[in-house]
Amino acid sequence: MKFAWKKILPIGAAIIMVLLLIAWGWTGLGTASFVRTTLSGLTLGSLFFMVAAGLTLIFGLMDVLNFAHGAMFMLGAYMGWQFYTNPTFIFGISPLIFAFASGLMLLPLIKPALIRWEINSKLQQNLPRIAYALALLMIFFAFNQLDIMGLADTAMVAITTTTADNPLAELSAQEPLLRFWVRPALMLVSGALIAFATAKPGDKTEFAVAEKTTQKWIIVAALFVATVLLTAFREALPETVLLMNGNLRFFLAMIVAVLFGLVFGGIIEITLIRPLYQRATFIVLMTLGLSFVIREVVQVLWDPLAYQMVRPPFFAQPGKAETVLEWFRNGNSTLNIFGVTFPTYRLFIIALGLVMFIFITLLMTRTRLGMIIRAGVQDPEMVEALGINVRQVFTFVFALGIAMAALGGIGAAPFIPVQPLMGDQFQMQGFITVVLGGMGSYVGAFIGALTLGLARAFGDYFALKLSLSPAIAEASTVIIMIIVLLIRPSGLFGKKE
Amino acid sequence: MPEPTSTKKISFRKIIRRESGFLVLTVLLGLFPFVMNLITGSGLNDGITKYWQGQLIAFFIMAVLAMSYDLLIGYAGILSFGHAAFFGGGAYTMALLLTHWGPTFASRYRITIPGGTDITTLIIFIASLLASAVVALLIGALFSATSARLKGAYFAMLTLALAEAIHILAKATDFVQWTGADEGLHGVPIPAWLNPTQFRLRFYFIALAFLVISYFVIRRFTNSPTGRVIVATRENEDRMRMIGYNPATYRTITFLTASLFAGLAGAMYSLWNMSATPSMTSAVTTVNMLIMVILGGMGTLIGPIIGAGLMQTLSQFLYNFFGARWPLVFGLIFIFIVLFFPYGIVGTWRLKQPDLKAGWERFRRLLGSKPPEQQ
Amino acid sequence: MNAFTTNQSPQPLLSVENIQTFIGQFHILEGVSLTVPANSITVMLGRNGAGKTTTLKSILGLTPPREGRVVFDGMEIQGKRAFNIANLGIGYVPENRAIFRQLSVMENLKLAERKRGDLEQHADFIFDLFPDLKRLYKLPGNHLSGGQQQMLAVARALVPDNKLLLIDEPSEGLAPILIQQMMEAIRKLSATTTVLLVEQNFIMASQLAQRYTIIDDGKSVHSGLMQDLAQNEELVHEYLGASVRTAKSGGEQ
Repeated sequence: MKFAWKKILPIGAAIIMVLLLIAWGWTGLGTASFVRTTLSGLTLGSLFFMVAAGLTLIFGLMDVLNFAHGAMFMLGAYMGWQFYTNPTFIFGISPLIFAFASGLMLLPLIKPALIRWEINSKLQQNLPRIAYALALLMIFFAFNQLDIMGLADTAMVAITTTTADNPLAELSAQEPLLRFWVRPALMLVSGALIAFATAKPGDKTEFAVAEKTTQKWIIVAALFVATVLLTAFREALPETVLLMNGNLRFFLAMIVAVLFGLVFGGIIEITLIRPLYQRATFIVLMTLGLSFVIREVVQVLWDPLAYQMVRPPFFAQPGKAETVLEWFRNGNSTLNIFGVTFPTYRLFIIALGLVMFIFITLLMTRTRLGMIIRAGVQDPEMVEALGINVRQVFTFVFALGIAMAALGGIGAAPFIPVQPLMGDQFQMQGFITVVLGGMGSYVGAFIGALTLGLARAFGDYFALKLSLSPAIAEASTVIIMIIVLLIRPSGLFGKKE
Repeated sequence: MPEPTSTKKISFRKIIRRESGFLVLTVLLGLFPFVMNLITGSGLNDGITKYWQGQLIAFFIMAVLAMSYDLLIGYAGILSFGHAAFFGGGAYTMALLLTHWGPTFASRYRITIPGGTDITTLIIFIASLLASAVVALLIGALFSATSARLKGAYFAMLTLALAEAIHILAKATDFVQWTGADEGLHGVPIPAWLNPTQFRLRFYFIALAFLVISYFVIRRFTNSPTGRVIVATRENEDRMRMIGYNPATYRTITFLTASLFAGLAGAMYSLWNMSATPSMTSAVTTVNMLIMVILGGMGTLIGPIIGAGLMQTLSQFLYNFFGARWPLVFGLIFIFIVLFFPYGIVGTWRLKQPDLKAGWERFRRLLGSKPPEQQ
Repeated sequence: MNAFTTNQSPQPLLSVENIQTFIGQFHILEGVSLTVPANSITVMLGRNGAGKTTTLKSILGLTPPREGRVVFDGMEIQGKRAFNIANLGIGYVPENRAIFRQLSVMENLKLAERKRGDLEQHADFIFDLFPDLKRLYKLPGNHLSGGQQQMLAVARALVPDNKLLLIDEPSEGLAPILIQQMMEAIRKLSATTTVLLVEQNFIMASQLAQRYTIIDDGKSVHSGLMQDLAQNEELVHEYLGASVRTAKSGGEQ
C-alpha cells in the first residue's frame, strides 16, 4: 500500500487544484469569459498536442529532436488544402510516386536471389553505381517538362473562385495520356533499378531470407494497379473529388495528409536520418536543414503567400446554433455554449486532439507495436536482441510522428492561415510541451499541451485586462517550463535518469 | 581538437609559427583596402572599395560570433540553441543606450581631457560597450543557472525556449517606445567619429582588430588549462568528475566566455548597421551561426571564421544565381555537408591531411623531382 | 592457431574463430575463439573487463566483430544484423537484469514471442522453472525484486524455440538461495537447449558446465573440459585469481 499513496496523492492534489481553479474562474471571471477562455485554451492545447505527440514519440524512442516537425505540420496543411481545393496537384504527381514505390517495393523480393548471384568483384562494385546513375537519369526524364508549377498554380485560381459555384470551371487541361504514360513507366523502372542497386547484387556479406513472398508480391501488385488507375483517371479523379460533398472531401483531405505524412516521414527516416544515428548532434542539424528546404520548396510551388482554406460545409453555415443538434442539422459556424458564441470548427479541433490521444493510448497499451515502442524507449538494443527489427520500428514511429503532425496541420488549416511559416510557432510550443510533460511520455505531452494551451488562453485574457500585449502570455509559457524544469529536471512525466 | 601543447612560458616565435595562417590572413585583410584602392582606383572611402570593406566588416563581426558559438558547441560540446540571445542582448543594449541614454548624458555633461579635446562621445561609447558586455554576461549567467541540472535534449530545449522568450520580449509592443517592437531600433545615433558610412576605413580596421583580438583571446582561452579541462569534460564528463573537477563550474565558465564575445559581436553589429532588430534575437540567427560553425568545422576555431566567410560569399553568390529562393539551394548544400562532410571544411582537411601530403608527394614525383630520402 | 582449438567435438553448434571487436576506437576483443558443442553448457570465465560480455554481444551482432568468423548451426553469421541472428534461434539474457521495467511480466514475455503462440506453448515449462512469475504475471517490471527480475530475464529467452542461450552472469547480486534456484533452472533447461554462460561464481560454473573457455585481456587463452580445470589450480590462479577466491569464500558461507 506504500506506493499506492505515493501515486494517488499528487494526482488527487492536482484534481483538487484544477477543481478549485475552475470554481474560482467560474465565479471570479464570470461564466461567459471563463467558458470562452477555457474553450480557446483547449483548442490551442489540442493543436499543441498534435505537434507534441509526434515529437515526444520520436524523441522517446530514437533520441531525435526533430526540428523539421513544424515544417511537416505545415506540409500536411498544404497537402490537405491542395486536395481540398486543387486535387489536380496531388493526382498529377501521384502516378509518378506510386510507380516509383511499386518499383522500389521489389527490393525484398529480388534481394535473396541477387546476393547469391555469382559475379566478379569489379562488376559487384560497379553494377549498383550504373544502376543508380541510370535511375537518376530516368527520374530526370520522368519529371522533365512536367508542369509541376502549373499543377500547383491552379490552386491560386481555385482559391479566388468560390468552390461552391462551379468548381470545375478552372480545371486546366493536362498533358494527353498518350504522352504522359511514359513518365510513370520511367519512374517504375527507376524504382526497380534503385531496388536492384540497394540489394547489393553479388555481395556475400549481405543477408536476406525470402519470407512472406506472397504478401510482398501483393503489395507490389496493388501499388502497380494503383499506378495504372491513377494514370488512367488522373483527369477524372480531380473532377470527382471536387464534385464531392465538402465534408467528405475534407475527411479525405485529412486521410491524404496522414498518408502523405506516413510515406514522407518513412522516406526521410530511411534516407536522411538513419545514416546519422551514431552522431546525435548531426541529426539535429539534418532536421534543421530539412525544415529549411521544405519551407523553400513550398514557397517555390505556392509562393510566399498566406492562404485561407475554406471551412468544410459542416462548420460553414453562417448563424449561431442554439443546440448541438441544431448544429448537426444545419452545419452552423458557431454554437451557443453556456451563453457563449463559440466557433464550431474549434470544437472539432478539440475533438480531433482527443481522438488522437485515444488513438495513441490504444496503440501504446493494447498493441504489440506499442509494447515494442515502450520497450524500445528503455533499451532498443535488447529489443533487437529479442529478434525484433528495431530499425523498422524506428522508421515506422518516425513516419507515425510525421503523420500526426501532418494531420494536425490539415486540422489547423481552416482555422489559421496556410503559409510557409505556419508550423514554426507550433513547433516551438510543441517543444515546450514535450519538455514540460517529460520527453518520451505521450501522457505527459497531453497534460503539458492542455496546461500550455490554457496558460496561453488565460494569459491572453489577463494580458488584455491589464492592457499588456499577447507577447507577455507567450513568454509566460517559457517561464512555466523553466519553473517545472527547476523542480523536475526531466519534466512532469519523464523518466528519471 | 585538443592541442597537445603545454607551454610554460609563451614565446612569441612559437605563437607566430603556430598561427602563421591566421597572421598571414590578418596582414592580407589589413592590406586589402589599399590594394583595392590601387587596382580599382576608387577612393578608400567610396565606390567599390567601400562596398567590399562593408562586406568584410560584416564578415569580421559574424566570424567572432561564430567563434563564440564554436566555443560552446565545438569545444565544450554543449548543444545550446540560445546563442542569438547573447548576440541580440549585446546589440540591443548598445542600441538602447546610444539612443536613449547617450543624448541625455551628452546634453548634461561635457568631458574633456587636459588638452581640451572633447571625449564625451568616447566615454558614452565605452560605457555602452561595457554595458553590452555586462548584459551579455548576465544573460549567459541566466542560461547557465537555469540549465545547471539539465541534460541533453532538456538542456537544448531550455536554451531554445529562453532565447525565444527574449525574442518575444524584443518584439513585444509593451516596450514599443524603447525598443520599437517589431520594427526594432533604427538610425541609432552612434558617435560621429565612428560612423561606418562616413569613416568606412576606420570602422574596417576597428572591426578587423576586434576579430584579431577576439581570435587570440579565445585561442588563449582554449589552450589554457581551463580550456583543456573543458575539452576533456566534453569527452568524458564522469571521468573528470571523478578526478575532482566540477563540470558545472566549467560549463558556466564556457557559457560566460561565449556570451561575452557574442554580446560584443552584437554590440559591434548594431554599431555597423546603426540598428537593432528583433530578428537578431530569433532562432534563425542561431541557425545561421550553427551553419557557419558546421560549414567550417566544429571545435577548430579557425573553421567558424572560414564558415562565416563562406556563408556570406555563398549567400551572395546563390542569390545572384537563384534569386529570392536561394535558401533552397543553400539548404540542399547544408544537408549534403551534414551527410557526407560532418567535420566541416577544416575538420575534413585535417583528417585528409595525410592523404593530401601523399598526393603532393605523388605529384612531385610526377614532376620528376627526387622522392624524399628513406630514413 | 592456438593449441586448444584442436580438441573439439566434430559438429559444434557455435564456433567463434578469432574475432576482433572494437567499441568506438577501443580494441576490446583481440582474438577470441571458442566452440560450443550442442546440448551442453559451456562457460566463459575471466576477470572483470576481460571481454566476456563483449564476446556474447559480438556473437549476437550487437557489437559486430570487425574480423573473424562466427559460425552458428553451419551458417556464418558475423556481420548480420542482431535481430536476424536472434531469429536464427539464439536467446540472450543480458547482465544487470535488463528487463523492460515499464512493461508487465506478461508483456515482457509476450514481447519475446517470435510467432504467435510461442508463449502458450512454453508457458508450462517456464512456470515450472520459475513458479514466482505466474504469481507476478500482471505486475509491472519495476515492481519486481532483483531476483525476480533475473528470473524474468531468463524466462524471456525461453519463450521462443531457441537452439542456443547466451546467459550473462545469472547469479550476479543474487542471494545464495536464489543462486541455487537459478542453477537448478539452468541445469533443467540445458536438457533441451545449448547454453553459453558467463559466470564469475566459480563454484556455480564448475558445477554446471561441461566445458570452459578462459578470456583474458580480450583474448581467449585456454579452453577445455571443466573437470580438467577444477584440478588445475595453477591455471585457475593465473587467470581467475581474485575472483575465484571471493567466489569460493562466498560459496562457503
